[in-house]
Amino acid sequence: MHRVDLARLLRVFTWTGLTSLGGGRSAYFHDAVVVRRGWLTNAEFLQDLTLCQVLPGPNSSHLAVALGHRLAGPWGAWGAALAVLVPGATLLLGLAILYGHGGLGAEARHFLRGMGAAVVGLVLVTAVRLAMGGVRDRRAIAIAALTFLAVGPFRINIAVVIAVMAAVSFWLAKDADPA
Amino acid sequence: MPDLLVLTWTFVWLSFLAIGGGLGVLPEMQRQVVTIHGWVTAQEFVDGYALAQLTPGPNMLVAVFIGYRAHGVPGAVLAGLAMFLPASALAGMVAGHWGRLRQRPFVRRLERAIAPIGIGLMAGGVYTLSRSAVHDVLTASLALAAFAVLWSGRVPPIIVVLAAGLVGLLARA
Repeated sequence: MHRVDLARLLRVFTWTGLTSLGGGRSAYFHDAVVVRRGWLTNAEFLQDLTLCQVLPGPNSSHLAVALGHRLAGPWGAWGAALAVLVPGATLLLGLAILYGHGGLGAEARHFLRGMGAAVVGLVLVTAVRLAMGGVRDRRAIAIAALTFLAVGPFRINIAVVIAVMAAVSFWLAKDADPA
Repeated sequence: MPDLLVLTWTFVWLSFLAIGGGLGVLPEMQRQVVTIHGWVTAQEFVDGYALAQLTPGPNMLVAVFIGYRAHGVPGAVLAGLAMFLPASALAGMVAGHWGRLRQRPFVRRLERAIAPIGIGLMAGGVYTLSRSAVHDVLTASLALAAFAVLWSGRVPPIIVVLAAGLVGLLARA
């Protein structure tokens, strides 16, 4: 039987999605389903988090799908995805319409420019934090640096970069096996 | 192929290349939607990403913004579905078996192999974003100031991003 009733899951996920603005989304979900409600153990949550990192695709919707699946089965997975996507998508569409119809004047352009610059600072913080946690040995540093150079300054097609780097990285990862 | 289909297909394959989060796919997304297909300008791309940061939900919802700029509401809906539907379906299918799969040495090795690639891709995303969002002393200082404040972890990102918008507004007024 499912641990959580679907309607309740939808309510909690919609609310958590709406209030977890500006990055660090997994932390808000951890707080909502592990700390505050005790629906999942820490280990279960971590397992779902690694799933999102390994699977291709947008991370934060993956997390909602995985958590929703665990809590309320396949319907829970779909419901959780809709709960975190639909409110933001609707809002963003509204903003896009405003943007397109000149509802954003010169002031708004300056505002957006300032925001865009701050977003660079925000994504840099996230990237550095994750790099500090995940890139520790020489293999990982080399793979991360080469991947960066290829997709950043050299603008090589990302599918090619991922295919080549995944093969090399997987081959190198055998020596690092602790188990 | 009609442009609307090209748009949809582009976001489907982009979504499957987003390893380690949406930020990693930004360089390729910009190349596709700005350079190759011209659906948005470089400035609109940055503006859309900033708006996606402000709205709740994943930042990859920026697909909705680009889709709307390219083909109105149908473009927005199709781009959003393309970005999230196939990838979420995959996550849903794997989620039920993940606990068991993760015990296998092959999957553990895959986890270790993919983590640094995800980080390299993310760094590429930061690079791409900074190339279009930082173009003078003001924007460079705002980016650095935001980095410093957010690094301390005491101020929520949304406050920092809005405050920077305000500075941008006041500085040009």
